[in-house]
Amino acid sequence: MSALPAPSPDLPDRTAPGLLRADVWRADALAAPRAQTLSSGDAALDAQLPGGGWPVGALTELLQAPGVHNEWRLLLPALARSGAGPVVLVAPPYMPFAPALQAQGLQAQRLLWLGAPDGQGTAALWLSEQALRCAAVDAVLAWLPQARAEQLRRLQWAAAEHHKLLFVLRPSAAQAQASPAVLRLLLDLDDGAALAVHILKRRGPPLTGPLHLAARPAALLRVLASAKPAWSAGKSDPSLHVAPTQTTSAHIAVLQPRRAAS
Amino acid sequence: MKPYWLAVCPQDAHHAGRDGGASRYAPLPASPLASALGGAISSDAGTEFSGAAPWADPMAALAWWSLQFTPWVAQVQQALVLEISASERLFGGRMALVQALLQPDHAPLPMQYAHGDSALLALARLACDALQQVGELAQPPLPPDALPLHTLASAQAHLPTLERLGCTTWGELRALPRGGVARRFGAPLLAALDQAYGAAPETYTWLRLPEVFDAPLELAAQVESAAALLFGARRLLAQLQLWLRARQHGVLVLELRWQLDARRANAHHRDTWHQGDGYGRLHLRTAEPTQDPRHLERLLAEHLAQVTLPAPVLYLRLRTLETCALRGQSLSLLPDELRSGDSLHHLLERVAARLGPESVRTVYLQDEHRPECMQTWQALGAQASAMVSTGVGQPSSAAAQTGMALGARAIAQASTMASQSLYPTWLLPQVRSLPCDADGLPQWDGPLALLAGPQRLELQAWDTGPQVQRDYYIAHSAGQGLLWVYRERLGAALGQGAAWYLHGLFA
Repeated sequence: MSALPAPSPDLPDRTAPGLLRADVWRADALAAPRAQTLSSGDAALDAQLPGGGWPVGALTELLQAPGVHNEWRLLLPALARSGAGPVVLVAPPYMPFAPALQAQGLQAQRLLWLGAPDGQGTAALWLSEQALRCAAVDAVLAWLPQARAEQLRRLQWAAAEHHKLLFVLRPSAAQAQASPAVLRLLLDLDDGAALAVHILKRRGPPLTGPLHLAARPAALLRVLASAKPAWSAGKSDPSLHVAPTQTTSAHIAVLQPRRAAS
Repeated sequence: MKPYWLAVCPQDAHHAGRDGGASRYAPLPASPLASALGGAISSDAGTEFSGAAPWADPMAALAWWSLQFTPWVAQVQQALVLEISASERLFGGRMALVQALLQPDHAPLPMQYAHGDSALLALARLACDALQQVGELAQPPLPPDALPLHTLASAQAHLPTLERLGCTTWGELRALPRGGVARRFGAPLLAALDQAYGAAPETYTWLRLPEVFDAPLELAAQVESAAALLFGARRLLAQLQLWLRARQHGVLVLELRWQLDARRANAHHRDTWHQGDGYGRLHLRTAEPTQDPRHLERLLAEHLAQVTLPAPVLYLRLRTLETCALRGQSLSLLPDELRSGDSLHHLLERVAARLGPESVRTVYLQDEHRPECMQTWQALGAQASAMVSTGVGQPSSAAAQTGMALGARAIAQASTMASQSLYPTWLLPQVRSLPCDADGLPQWDGPLALLAGPQRLELQAWDTGPQVQRDYYIAHSAGQGLLWVYRERLGAALGQGAAWYLHGLFA
């Protein structure tokens, strides 16, 4: 009989990368940053992010093709849990639809829209930095299509100094440029429901393939799933589905899944 | 209680010298606090004030500042007298009070002080101290009898006569028969002497804080550009902070007024800031009462950056239009909860001052059927500042504020939430008309596949606004993902061909 006690099955697996001591780094594992992180709400994504979530107090860069928007589905779960202070949107491309964001957990009164009237790039940078310096702000989302690396570095400093969540959204053409961001993701359309996320830069080994995330509200996923056959069937004439209604006053019909073309 | 007096004057005031002789001597060095009560000493309140005084009115600054030690402050000639016997207990003794008064970097400007049992005695010692040599500073204060007569203001007119009589000190004058002195020099001199020895009460016009801060400033040189006015305004703001602290108020509305050089032809220019009367006015507003001169200065800088001066300016005036009492702020005991950075209303006001109020918007929800009316992005205004003051950081009060009336209609809302999660996360500010192909199907960056729908929205508007009949669909575009499109049902019914519009994006 050995004097050493048998390892308890309750002990965590020491080889799992996330459970390593913070001051010991195995070269094949993700570096465990000292900084605080905030879970992204998606287990598959959290497993690939150093520290298990979005870095707080660091710049995270999200790259997307022009005209494609997938930021909310990726960020909303984290933003909803980021605190109770304002979430600052700097120069967003459209109007955020607050009822939809509120239904997904982000309280509408936390939203704060900052933008330059004539859309100057320098004004957006100034606004982002001012927002980061504000004590009450919890997170900053900045749409900075023109930003240069040294300007981003300044934002990264401000985020680190004031310990804020900072997401900078830029066009996918910027992926060839150098960036001071600690985390760079390229968001790509997979199909209507799933989202392909390429991790271009992180503190740890590179990730070769993209991650596929569902990242849609459950109600929307159900509607899409029921519409799937029709979708794959291809074209159809929507005029077939315009049902006669006897609505008298304001009325919203229940959203019904589209039937297969008859 | 026996009164006890301090006499205080700014250091540069006696260097300028009301009695002429002071300027012969070198500036007095700082003395250690241990000898604070050992004699009439000077205290150097740090080097930052050694250059040009940052105050628009140094004497008023010193007086307002010293009101925190005692309510009995009066200005006599170029010095202040403070009666401190009543507040000694509050500060934990006379020594502690004097130490608090002389604390380095605490006073608004370097000053010199002396003390005594009467105000005239303290003033006389202060005047003597100006003539003392450096080496004599550690000496005990002069006894009243040994003080030279020229330090007594009432004796100034009779100095030559008194000198010919052989009277040069207070003691010698006091030794003369009272009846003869009263006949020869008049009763005021005797009364002053009695007051100086504490035998008669002293009365002064006590200083009171003005109800409204209104300070003028003459600039050192004519200022041509509005941004350069900030340098003068900074001195006024520093003065304002002292006034606000003494009153324990915060400022809400400020007015900066400048006088244009009337000799210039375009002094009567008219624009947003100039009314054509030779003056320019700028109103600064803050959502939350503040004492912070840095915030006011930044706001002022943003506003002044937009002003163009039609003529040079030599005079400035700063006035408070609205102030209110400042509430105390409770700080957290735990260091973790202290967050670095400036406050939210500072941020909002700075942004609004620089880029206009339209650049800061918050959202308000309404119970509506039309998606474009469900939310309003409003510019910074009364409601936005209400959001700041009630504190977004408090979820309970914040939730109570929404137009959704959370909690009261929890069940109704649960169903609303379910349907609202089917709404897109981006809404186009203006709906975009979509081209159609031959089958009447919408095109946007390639053909659109309609995934789900229709969601009928029909509003027989009995109020203003057009009749709305729309069928919403969730569409998929190969290049852009999920889109929210609708078709005008009215157009389809009239056989004009369906008109398709893009209204939102599922981001």
